[in-house]
Amino acid sequence: MTLGPVTDTDAAWLLGLLQAGDSFYPTGSYAHSFGLEGLVQQGVVRDRATLRDFIVLSALPALRHTDLPLAAHAWRAFGEANWPRIGELCVLSSALKTAREARAASENIGRQRAELMASLRAHPLAQEFLQRASAENWPHSSAVSAALEGRVLGAPLTAVLAGMAYATLASLLSAAMKMLRLGQNAAQSLLTEALAATPALITAAELTACEDIGWFNPWLDIAAARHETANSRMFIS
Amino acid sequence: MPEFSGHLSLRAATRTHGRTILAAQSFRAPYHLSKPYWDPDTLTLLAQVVNPTAGILSGDQLASDISVDAGAALLVTTPSASRVFKMKDGTATCRQQFQVAAGAWLEVMPEPLVPHRGCSYRQATTIAVAAGGELFFADLLMPGRVAHGEAWEWHRLCLETTVRLAGELILRERFHHTGDDLRALAALAGSGPGACFGNAVLIAPERPTDAQWRASLDTLHGDGLWIGVSALRRGGWSIKWAARDGIRLRQGLREVRKTLARYFPHLACDPRKL
Repeated sequence: MTLGPVTDTDAAWLLGLLQAGDSFYPTGSYAHSFGLEGLVQQGVVRDRATLRDFIVLSALPALRHTDLPLAAHAWRAFGEANWPRIGELCVLSSALKTAREARAASENIGRQRAELMASLRAHPLAQEFLQRASAENWPHSSAVSAALEGRVLGAPLTAVLAGMAYATLASLLSAAMKMLRLGQNAAQSLLTEALAATPALITAAELTACEDIGWFNPWLDIAAARHETANSRMFIS
Repeated sequence: MPEFSGHLSLRAATRTHGRTILAAQSFRAPYHLSKPYWDPDTLTLLAQVVNPTAGILSGDQLASDISVDAGAALLVTTPSASRVFKMKDGTATCRQQFQVAAGAWLEVMPEPLVPHRGCSYRQATTIAVAAGGELFFADLLMPGRVAHGEAWEWHRLCLETTVRLAGELILRERFHHTGDDLRALAALAGSGPGACFGNAVLIAPERPTDAQWRASLDTLHGDGLWIGVSALRRGGWSIKWAARDGIRLRQGLREVRKTLARYFPHLACDPRKL
């Protein structure tokens, strides 16, 4: 990020990231709880306190060890037009999610984000990515598409990761408000606390080697797997 | 205390009589191999890998490479838990590779890993399955010496699993929680202070009966056992379970194998026949 006064260029990518991270932006993330509904159904997450524990013990570490470093590596690969590397990261992103619904959520959101970048911005990088992903059958990935957005918008890595972390946490809390007795102020207080911890996660994620990417919460994976066959559910994942 | 650079290499193949034999084997301490047993009922060769030392110590570097040729069926197990002892400094590593050819079956089912207080251990598992090959790989983790009141007190623990099917990456997992974090997650989930994990991968071509065994496994959930089954990105399944204690953990594995054995007959091979 530049250290001098804010420029028109800074404002342009900042506005682009705000647009991409807004709930008004049609990524389809509103339809997913990212496994949280499964934990609510199991009685694990049931109020503000247990939701806070889940965010601290599971959502933030998953960002730190999986999605943020994936996006960081993809952002660098897009900068070098290193397409084989981008393809590997798409496959890795998919392989890291053992729960089918979690994987499908990332793929669907990632596809939508990439297609929006190509259609709204008519940017050649996004268009080439879509062509290659289709031709080489790469699975889409929300993390890789976040990196693509950053490159299309001209945003620096730290800002891309911050936007991604915000969108992830806000989506999760938005889903939680529909399942729990949780008001807007309570959700915002949790979001504020989680965002306060995020800069350190971003710094660490930027330094994470590719072979060190990966983390999972066994109970979340089990709950997400069981959610696939639940008799009733509000969210796709 | 001596440090070991342990080595184990096995290759299972079939002979004209149709039985699986070990066509090649070599090992070095702390690995030792018991005499293999051919199970005529399940047409599976049972190989038991023994660690005659007390367990894994600082500086140990273990490497194993096990392959199964086309038409062969092999079950690799261990007779007792693998203990990773306290380390003042240093670490221990275990790199294990498995290759399964088209038309081959491999089951890997060691007894649980028990990381003691203050240990530092990294296990990297790499599995390559050819198209048409089948595999059941199960990893069990205890939180420590629970009977001694010791749980979640390892210094560093990293369990990595990479699975490729026909050369394509289909699974990559890294389990590298601190003991404190895992204790807190277990408390959040209500699994209790002695929670244990089972993490299995089943690689097999899609079958019409998949929905049946999956539904049967889902019914095992409850009474101190969480279990979830989900399809990998292609060609296989992830089966995870969390249990309140080691007894329920092993019971869970037995029930998983028994359920699956109706569809994958090699899983009926009794690992305790030796």
